Amino acid sequence: MNRHFQIEIKTGSRTLAAIDDYPIAGGAITFIFGESGIGKSLLAKAVYGLLDPAALSVEINGASYQKYLKSRLLKNMKKEGFFVFQEPSSHLNPLLKLGEQLSEGSLKDAGDGQGILRHLFDTKDDTYLQSLLDIYPLPYRPSGGEKQRLLLTMAFKRLNEYLKSDIPADNSLFVFDEPSGSLDDQTRNRFIRLLINIFYRKPFTCLFITHDYSIIGEIFRHYRELLPFIRFKELVRSEAGLLMRDFAPTDYLDWLKNTRAVKDKPTQLKGQKNQNLITIRNPFRVYDHDFYFHKPDKPDEPKPFRLNRGEMVYLKAPSGLGKTTLAKIIMGLQRAQKLDMILLGKKINENTPPAFWRREIWGKKAGMVFQHADEALNLQATVGSVFDGLPLKRKLNTKDKIDLLNTLFRGEVSANFLGKRIGLLSGGQKQRLNLLPTLALDTDLIVLDEPLNGLDFASIKKIIAIIRSKQSEGKGLLLISHNEEIFDSLVSREHIYRLNVYDATS
Amino acid sequence: MRRRLTEHLLSILVITLLAAGVFWYLRAQNEQKPTPAEKQLGPLLELPFAEYDDPFHTALLRDLLDLYRPGRSAENDSLLSLLLKTREQKLVKELTRSHLQQKLTWPKLGQLSLMYGQFIWVYVLVLFLTYYGVQTVAVMRFVRKKQERESYLYALWQLLSAKPFSGGAQKTLKAVRQAVSLLIKAALRGLLYFILFSPAYVIAYSLRTRIDTDTVFFMIVLGVFSNGLLINYANKFYTFLVSESRKGYVLTAMVKNLSTDYSHHKKRGIPYRAIFALRKHFGAHVFQHIFINSRYQYLATFKEQASFLITGLIIIEMALNIHGHLGYELLQQLLYQNYEIVLVIILFIFYLVKLTEMATDWFIERLARVYENKI
Amino acid sequence: MKTKFKQIFEKLYAQKDKLWLVIWLGGLLLVWGWNLLFLNRPALQRIETGFINSFMIALLVLVFSLALSWITVNSLLLPHRWLRTLFVFLLNILRSIPQIVGILFGYVGITLLLQQGKLQSTFTVLVLMAIVVSLFVFQELVDLMRERVRHFHKSDFYQAMLVRGIAESRIINYDILWMNSRVHIFNKLIAIFGVAIFLQCSVDFIISIGLSTTLSSIDLPVTLGTLLANIDSKQDILAIGNSLMHPSYISKIFFEHLQGVTVAFLIVFSLLSIYKIANGFTERFKL
Repeated sequence: MNRHFQIEIKTGSRTLAAIDDYPIAGGAITFIFGESGIGKSLLAKAVYGLLDPAALSVEINGASYQKYLKSRLLKNMKKEGFFVFQEPSSHLNPLLKLGEQLSEGSLKDAGDGQGILRHLFDTKDDTYLQSLLDIYPLPYRPSGGEKQRLLLTMAFKRLNEYLKSDIPADNSLFVFDEPSGSLDDQTRNRFIRLLINIFYRKPFTCLFITHDYSIIGEIFRHYRELLPFIRFKELVRSEAGLLMRDFAPTDYLDWLKNTRAVKDKPTQLKGQKNQNLITIRNPFRVYDHDFYFHKPDKPDEPKPFRLNRGEMVYLKAPSGLGKTTLAKIIMGLQRAQKLDMILLGKKINENTPPAFWRREIWGKKAGMVFQHADEALNLQATVGSVFDGLPLKRKLNTKDKIDLLNTLFRGEVSANFLGKRIGLLSGGQKQRLNLLPTLALDTDLIVLDEPLNGLDFASIKKIIAIIRSKQSEGKGLLLISHNEEIFDSLVSREHIYRLNVYDATS
Repeated sequence: MRRRLTEHLLSILVITLLAAGVFWYLRAQNEQKPTPAEKQLGPLLELPFAEYDDPFHTALLRDLLDLYRPGRSAENDSLLSLLLKTREQKLVKELTRSHLQQKLTWPKLGQLSLMYGQFIWVYVLVLFLTYYGVQTVAVMRFVRKKQERESYLYALWQLLSAKPFSGGAQKTLKAVRQAVSLLIKAALRGLLYFILFSPAYVIAYSLRTRIDTDTVFFMIVLGVFSNGLLINYANKFYTFLVSESRKGYVLTAMVKNLSTDYSHHKKRGIPYRAIFALRKHFGAHVFQHIFINSRYQYLATFKEQASFLITGLIIIEMALNIHGHLGYELLQQLLYQNYEIVLVIILFIFYLVKLTEMATDWFIERLARVYENKI
Repeated sequence: MKTKFKQIFEKLYAQKDKLWLVIWLGGLLLVWGWNLLFLNRPALQRIETGFINSFMIALLVLVFSLALSWITVNSLLLPHRWLRTLFVFLLNILRSIPQIVGILFGYVGITLLLQQGKLQSTFTVLVLMAIVVSLFVFQELVDLMRERVRHFHKSDFYQAMLVRGIAESRIINYDILWMNSRVHIFNKLIAIFGVAIFLQCSVDFIISIGLSTTLSSIDLPVTLGTLLANIDSKQDILAIGNSLMHPSYISKIFFEHLQGVTVAFLIVFSLLSIYKIANGFTERFKL
């Protein structure tokens, strides 16, 4: 049975999210795509009864939220359900041991979850798992991926209880909000396998909120027979408010196919061909670990990392291993314990002072785009002021700014747009805007850390187009992303590196 | 921790050395240094046989001066008058200050140490009481907010807006009773707020005619309830509770079906017993998560609270003129310009602040090590 | 008309900082009106001067605290690490001196300068008094500013701006402190305003009752604290205690003991209102 919700969420007089029809297909898995910040999580939380009626004014199906919170429907859904939140770090209590968090409340009588942990962590080493449960969650340890798997374990414990119950599928609700955001592809696939195995045994109602379009590929490759029980939806903004429309998975699959066809064509550069921008010799040391690069299929053959002009290089690594740390080391934002690097012709080691980057690199020869636009941008500033303070040869006037904005916002740049507060932009707009200051600097080297984070499909296509155009202009691009399917199709194999740590392989 | 400890010890050392320097300087200054007039008069002031109160002796000195300094009669006159004036000034100075001026002696240091000991135990007791009070008041306020209770005045406003007096006599009577009850409650709450925000001396002087305000007990009561200490830090704790309640882990606790019921009398609610307990624990309730995280944050402000409490206690002791207490002694010694003693008292207070800071840092560090999985 | 009034009240009730600002100003106006009717002119004039001086000092404290904090936070950007460490070390020492002791000594210093005739204008004395109070309260603001900078330092914000080649001083002063922290700073200033009034009144009171024999309190500008220590005011406050046992005496308090009761009320009511305003502000901006 399908349920339909009409939802309106307001704070004061401002509407945060309003949708006339938010459908939940009973006994089916619904994948919900859409750009970040559009309201996917908020709507799901509203349905699951997690919003604070004292802080927000919420109406569901025309009735007050208080009334909805007391409804039998919600009580049933919560009784046999669970909600896995995105950002695993902030969703675990930092002052409670992980083991305790895995066995409190309704998880208390749901077994020890050892089997689930073994599957999600792909290990039979119970001592390792026990040591993980015996600690308090810190910001960086366990890693985001490990924390994510612990939150998933909670959901699976509830799912196991659901399997034992006689509750009909319609009455259950399991929400997974960006559950693979901190997982590498292999772990994500293991998680999906477990989820679908349970679904085979007894269907349940599931909302799966994600930006990870490569899940579509995974489903089509391995679980095609389940397609009648799977819905692909996309939350979009329309003139009438939010709209949940069907998403055609073939659109994505076809685009991917086309991307592969024009993969990483070498650019024709005059005079500067093969000019090296970065070389890093193996190993480099940080956090007391030795790291090395290798080609994806040859982990036993360390290979120096190279990036030349006109190339885009894709760096892969499991989540939390240190991809962003490496980008920061290259950009002089973090110091390595041991480093042998040539950056834009200058020899760099672990003793090179930060002043070098300030003097010669930042904003002059290299730029970096950080993964979280919400953190990297000044949300209180206006769109137009995003270019202020940049070390440009001349100050940009309004026309220059509009021209720059048009490279990524064609059709969206109105007179008011320049004066709009960045905090009020949608997630996709912020992510695109996040690229612009670096593009305006026009540096030889551009480091892009998770550039597709939080984007809808349309924005992904725009960003990929920009990356390609920069490559054709002769820029060197270092791409860091966990979205392997898209970048594998974009970058040729010879330009793909995998980052690894010696301790881990040994 | 070692770095912090070193910094604390270093600052203690620096201040102690500085105080020692000032102390010896003051000592040197206090040595009877002659004034310019005394210097000019020199041995004339100290003549053992001369009694200048006796007019005969004065006249004799006048003659002697004329004999040895002939032809300088006017000068000798002014010298004699200067001598008499200086002697008188010196005498008056000695008479007026002899019973007030004190030097730092061992017995005095012993006396100060006793006062210091008393100050410390009052301080520790008030600190403990406010630590408990701050948490209890804040938890109570947070729970009431979660119960969606409006302020009494707003409830009164709502009652009056509903035109309650238009029904029958019984209805009107009920409404009047309700309104009066709300008004009394609001007035009592207002009075409580006034007490909590009153500087200690305002309360003390208000009650002086009725209560003996010079007791240690009264000082402790004032230390806890006045000067805005309790209410301000309870508010800080409350802010932590509110900000923690918005965090993600609370949502995770909610989806694990931990209780979210804040009523006092339900099985899965928050009973008064738990709110007023010395060691607060809220069982399988979402609030337990919020509380432990807020308490951890509150510890970081504990140093600031302790410092403010010391300020409050000194104000109480000074303003209430409680004899034999450290604050009063400080004020008295400052009044009589006995700066050596003032210096020692300040040093004592500084050591107490530092000791509190070190203890708090040690405790927080230890807890942090537990939560960082280092212990 | 009734509905409009109701709407205004409901709106104000939802924004408690504004509501309490109205209550505070209204309360002050009411007390002033009452005093105008029932208090003798010289006493009323003294209260007015004391009130204006006290609030003038508190306002000046805000200005100096802001300036000192800004200088401090920017000094922590100094390139030499040892200089930064020394600066923080000295700040921590200053923090360990109880505010009341520090301010008391500062005031004693000012009084000595007054006695030596080195200070002539009242305004200069007010400024000096404000500087002394600021020295012992500005650290709260420094802590907040440093906390805000640290917060953005931890996120990608700081580094993302650095790699764009934006100057560090611009990131801290414009992007972090001005664009992203001015509401927090304003809120802290409200709290400091309350602390400044409390400390200033306390020290003035203590000086007036405790040190007045050698350090003439008459030399210092009249403030609410000195007025409270005034013998007439003390009698008035003592009368409150009397009325606890003799409720019929309460009515006399508002007519015959007006000076002391007014001064005490102004202090306590202002402290309460400022606290409520700061709270409402925190709630409204979800700080």
